Amino acid sequence: MKTPGKALLSVKGLTKDFGGIRAVDSFSFDVHEGSITGIIGPNGAGKTTVFNLVTGIYRPTAGSIFFEGEEMAGLRPDKIVRKGIARTFQNIRLFNRRTCLDNVLTPLLQRERCSFTGALFGTPGARRLERELHGRAIELLSALGLGKYASWQANTLPYGLQRKLEIARALATEPKLLLLDEPAAGMNPEETRALADLVAEVRWKFNVTMLLIEHHMDLVMKICTPIVVMNFGALLAAGTPDEVRENPEVVAAYLGKGKKTNECTSG
Amino acid sequence: MWPGLFLQTLITGLSIGGIYALMAVGYSLVFSVLNFSNFAHGAVIMLGAYVGLALASKLSLSFGIVLAGSIAGAGLIAVLNEKLAYSSLRRRKAPSLYLMISAMGCAVFLENLVYATIGSRFYAFPEFFGRQVISIGGSSVSLLDVGAFLFALVAILGLHLFIKRTRTGIAIRAGVSDMTMCSLMGVDLDRLIAIVFLLAGGFAGVAGVFLGIKYLVYPTMGWVTNKAYIAAVIGGLGSLPGALAGGLILGVVETFVSSYISSVMRDVFSFSLLIAFLVWRPNGLWGTDSEEKV
Repeated sequence: MKTPGKALLSVKGLTKDFGGIRAVDSFSFDVHEGSITGIIGPNGAGKTTVFNLVTGIYRPTAGSIFFEGEEMAGLRPDKIVRKGIARTFQNIRLFNRRTCLDNVLTPLLQRERCSFTGALFGTPGARRLERELHGRAIELLSALGLGKYASWQANTLPYGLQRKLEIARALATEPKLLLLDEPAAGMNPEETRALADLVAEVRWKFNVTMLLIEHHMDLVMKICTPIVVMNFGALLAAGTPDEVRENPEVVAAYLGKGKKTNECTSG
Repeated sequence: MWPGLFLQTLITGLSIGGIYALMAVGYSLVFSVLNFSNFAHGAVIMLGAYVGLALASKLSLSFGIVLAGSIAGAGLIAVLNEKLAYSSLRRRKAPSLYLMISAMGCAVFLENLVYATIGSRFYAFPEFFGRQVISIGGSSVSLLDVGAFLFALVAILGLHLFIKRTRTGIAIRAGVSDMTMCSLMGVDLDRLIAIVFLLAGGFAGVAGVFLGIKYLVYPTMGWVTNKAYIAAVIGGLGSLPGALAGGLILGVVETFVSSYISSVMRDVFSFSLLIAFLVWRPNGLWGTDSEEKV
């Protein structure tokens, strides 16, 4: 990052054990405000576990997660999302049998205080709020090119659009930080390029900082800076795309290394 | 079969069916959100009936207050039941079998608690409606039957609107499809589940009072929820309109079997119906698949 803003998310010494397995091992990194930070690493490196820890789905074994200077470790997912961290999943998790509109309306509604009886009997106030939220939902869908699919049932959308819908739904929680878990998984090169443009556009349009896990290297190298590399649950390297690309340890982690080099590599 | 008896049988059937539906709705609601069979639901119905009984016979309150009291009482008992017996299992993401076993334990515990404290006596509610009858189409039917049916209808319609329209209702539907995702939308799951149990318990309270008035109040009266499970399966587990329709269908069919064939055959018939549905139409009449239920 050329002009690093202040750290929006600051993870320090994060550790997660599952039984005897240490999935995340005193992992520390920062996400600066306004950046698109990438997390890469071989399969099983613990990237998704970090997402689950940051969003409160798992409780950390040790370590801290500061978001805007406030400790998030140990908070419930609903508290964390209200502080402004939203996410998408590697395996898409939409409310499948509901329409696209309903998917986006669900988080929008949770942010509103609406009167119970009003909603039940359809009072003018409740109707006004409903129209307003409806309008916002359509705006969000349109921003991601899903405007004409509003009434489609979520699981009938083509795969690529389901990913976009998941992003739209996450944006509906009005996050400051958006975590995308392999947004380009299963996409062909052309779709991946379009996604890169979309991610960049979403960052500006919604003024949201992003942290993304991705295996498509061209996507990561194109839009992410800085890039954080994980291996065996720990930080392996961090830096600009060029720095990371040329780091011998990163190359070794991805391509494997002979026993001899392993011994030579200083820890 | 002469028309008078036919109509009377139909209305009695609808009234029993209405009570089955009230029970099935609460059971179904919990099933669809937490995905386990809450066998303690029957015990909550029984306790709701005792609460109503105490208010009616000890304090001689009017029917409306008795009903409100047992709705509140049973609702709170259901919430407490969840907090004490299910919530820690749920937070540790235990398999639903554990929740079911815990529910069975609760049912047996609560029943025995009543045996130990109140005793095994059968109690009757004071007569609220006397032998008041109203005349419909030339045949006389009891006010209680008509009232139970109409009340069940209105209550279930109200719940349906609640689930469809309100913020909490929409959160419940989101939770039905994916709990974790629901919490990532900013929903406090503990609060949401407490509301679900409060609703289920409230409906159990209504069912308990109507059952108690129609029959008697005793520690094992909750086992009639077996019929609610059948109703829920007929309608499609987890579907609210399904629970209503399933309850009414079961109530009517049962009453016809006992008045036109033999009352001994009634339960044989009901449980055969359950097995037939499970074999040929496990999703029931209105159920889709297990993904979206309420």
